Amino acid sequence: MGLRGYIIKRMIYTFILIIAVITVNFVIFNLMPGNPIQQYVASLRGRITEERLQRLKRAYGLDKPLIERYFLTIVNMLTFNFGISWQSGEPFAKMILTPLVNTLILMGISTILSIVVGIIIGTLCAARRGGIFDSTMVLLSLATYSVPIYFIAWTVILIFGVQLKWFPTGGIEPHEWGRNPPTNIFEVIAGRIPYLILPTLTLFVFTVGGWILLTRATVLETITEDYVVTAKAKGLPERTILYKHVLKNAAPPLLTQIVLSLASMIGGAIITETCFSYNGMGLLTWRAIYPVPDLPLLNALFYVMALAVIIGNFIADLLYGVVDPRIRYG
Amino acid sequence: MATRKKKLEFTIRRFKGFLDEFKRSKKGIAGLVILVIWVIIALTAPLLTPYDPIRPRRDIGLYPAFGPNGGPKIAEALCVPSWYKYLPWVYKGYVQRQEQFHNVVIKIPGVKQEQQFFGPVGKNATDSHIFLSNPCVNVTKIEVQMTNGTKRALTKTEWNWNELLSRQISITTIFPNETIFIVHYYSGQDIVENKVLISDFKFTSSSSLNEWDYNGSEIATLTYNENGGTENGGCMELEFHKSGKVHILHFFNYSALAPPKSFMAHVSIKVKEAPCNVSIVFYRISPSGKMSKPFYLFKREIKPGGFTSELIMSSSDEVRELVGLAYHVNYYVYPQDLIFRYPGEYAFGMEVSSQGNSSVYIDDFNCILYGNAFGLLGTDNAPDYPRDLFSALVYGSRVSLIVGILSAIFSTLIGLVAGLVSGYVGGFVDEIIMRVADLLLVLPGLPLFIVLASVMKSTYGLVSIWNIIIILSLLGWMGFARTVRSMVLSIRERAFIEAARAAGASTSYIIFRHVVPNVFALVYITLATAVPGAIITEASLSWLGLGDPMVPSWGKTLYDFNTSGIAVSKGLSDYWFWVFPPCIAIMLLSISFILIGFALDEILNPRLRLRR
Repeated sequence: MGLRGYIIKRMIYTFILIIAVITVNFVIFNLMPGNPIQQYVASLRGRITEERLQRLKRAYGLDKPLIERYFLTIVNMLTFNFGISWQSGEPFAKMILTPLVNTLILMGISTILSIVVGIIIGTLCAARRGGIFDSTMVLLSLATYSVPIYFIAWTVILIFGVQLKWFPTGGIEPHEWGRNPPTNIFEVIAGRIPYLILPTLTLFVFTVGGWILLTRATVLETITEDYVVTAKAKGLPERTILYKHVLKNAAPPLLTQIVLSLASMIGGAIITETCFSYNGMGLLTWRAIYPVPDLPLLNALFYVMALAVIIGNFIADLLYGVVDPRIRYG
Repeated sequence: MATRKKKLEFTIRRFKGFLDEFKRSKKGIAGLVILVIWVIIALTAPLLTPYDPIRPRRDIGLYPAFGPNGGPKIAEALCVPSWYKYLPWVYKGYVQRQEQFHNVVIKIPGVKQEQQFFGPVGKNATDSHIFLSNPCVNVTKIEVQMTNGTKRALTKTEWNWNELLSRQISITTIFPNETIFIVHYYSGQDIVENKVLISDFKFTSSSSLNEWDYNGSEIATLTYNENGGTENGGCMELEFHKSGKVHILHFFNYSALAPPKSFMAHVSIKVKEAPCNVSIVFYRISPSGKMSKPFYLFKREIKPGGFTSELIMSSSDEVRELVGLAYHVNYYVYPQDLIFRYPGEYAFGMEVSSQGNSSVYIDDFNCILYGNAFGLLGTDNAPDYPRDLFSALVYGSRVSLIVGILSAIFSTLIGLVAGLVSGYVGGFVDEIIMRVADLLLVLPGLPLFIVLASVMKSTYGLVSIWNIIIILSLLGWMGFARTVRSMVLSIRERAFIEAARAAGASTSYIIFRHVVPNVFALVYITLATAVPGAIITEASLSWLGLGDPMVPSWGKTLYDFNTSGIAVSKGLSDYWFWVFPPCIAIMLLSISFILIGFALDEILNPRLRLRR
């Protein structure tokens, strides 16, 4: 099986995962005791017109038998037809688009940052295992596992936003822009960077510890392999051994971990964005649960988040295929 | 029999060996110490703090006006901790303040004179006077800045500070539209704790009368009545010989430079024979000993009959009207600002006048001055009944420990069973379990929890703490199940299993006697490392408001902060004692489990042992 076979296999697997996620979503919203979505639509009675209520019922297939509703949901989800907000009348897909882009920007920057820094520090830790640098880093990384992310966010706001006043603590772009932001793309980027810094820092601190520990463990595993001993015996400098021999072989298992990190990162992003009122999926999620849960919006949001993770998973798998020669020629 | 004894001895020896190794691990001991402290705090919570963490009241059932299960609030909202007064950077004394106001001049049809209105700069000008935002002890000067930029100080005839109303300044001349008024004034700043004026307000013994000053004995005699009060307790009895007016006063010292934030008074009165006029009153006593005019809080004619209990709140319209604030539509001026303007001697008490011979019984007579400092961590801003943040911190440890430990136990058990079944039975069952585990591992965790909790909140009205434990257990087993499965797969091929099978052992016997003991070391490690995740997820869910509002978890305290309407940046610097203690508590509790798990991992994990 060459690379192409591998890719096709992963694609099929990804598609099955997507269907599974839709099924989980469907089960949660339709089959949990009390039939949440039906009760939710019923609770809107009186708040919206009868005609709109009927339209909502039709949209969620509440007038159809369960099995038909299931296939309707699959079709709707695959075509991004999530329904319409009963408050604004706007389609959810449109409501989600801008926040999704904003979240991807935030998460992309902070993930790359924490992976790079985490791998560098983790490799150094493994190379000097047992030393002071190693044990402090391990302890600090362990500490980040025990900290709720809003603690990090609030500390960052207090230090850099309130005490030092270096960066803005909330929002996504300068307040003066209002409804007409500048048209020049560079001006837009420059204006938005200060608003990105603190949320990125928060997510970075939250995730870098995991990367340090993971890299350290993986590198420790490879460092005992025979080829490393051989390289040492050849008299290669330590740096070359670390980055050419050890890290290269430790890369594939690290790559698989990106998937898991994405899943936990999205949770962190929800809370971070809420803390910084950063207009992303997280803030939208907060708006969908506070003060009253908006189930259809949550349904759509969860699906999009899961989809993002699954696609991230798929991309990581492809990279895996490129990085790990065993798959290409296996 | 002998083998059983030997087995026991072996177990004990092994446990001792484990204990010795654990003692040598600094991380493990540190984690254990922190955990033990938290467990002690959780167990002794009611001893550490007397207040309910959700709906706190003080003196429950002692004031009849609140009913048998009610009581007054424990403190004002948004109090600072009482140790704030020891902080060197918290200023106590008279501060010079400066505030800016602007005006709007309106020509009202039919009225000859123009009318001018004032408001703080940046807000609408709607008040007929300038109202300072702090109680004021002296106005030093007022400057005006015209729209063209010219600036001058106002002469004494152009403004008038109403000393009685403290915050109110009238401007006598009319200035053009949008003139800026800069007011320089002195205002007291202090950390004021709650002050309960009467200690024995239930009149439990005759010495309770010593708290009161009485000098009307030619009109009426004041005696202690042992069982004439409410609930047949003691009370004060005032017996009139002739018509007249008497005062029963309690003198006290109010030494703070700032007025209290509010006050509450309570009295139960019964009158026999002729009706009486009863009023409750504050006096300010000047340094020379002269009493000010009375500040009435309550004036009623009490008819003969049973006990009536009266509650007097500083925020009530009646009190505002009696102290002379009725016509101030504007609520910037509070009764307590007028009464407790300066530090010094004050008197609280009752004025009773009777037309003839009558007896008055007085019970449950007390006054609480609510300050701006309370307890070890201050209070939050819950309406009506502000909560003690220290109680929330102490009781929160119970919730986190219960949720963390229970969901770790359940998820580990599920993981163990799933892993065993999947690994040992194999085939189709294995495939299904592992595919479900894969799916659940790929799904983003917190969003899934959020969706489940929101669905519950929307469908059942609330998410109980047990639901959260169930969610956490049902979605936290996958990683451990995978580990157990891979271990079982390797154990299954070992010779001793084959031997057992050859000897005719059943599958369940092999699993429980041969496989489980071999994976059990992992169970301890997973138990310890699964707790912090559960604690943090619970704290995150209740932080988002997806917890039980009646359960005082740490996340809920933070959710209350989130939804209090206080801007985050202001809240973090001004009310850090509200936000950071629960955060640090979550961190300390989780880190204790992480450290213990780390130590266990080093001791019990054979792979790590080999590497060392």
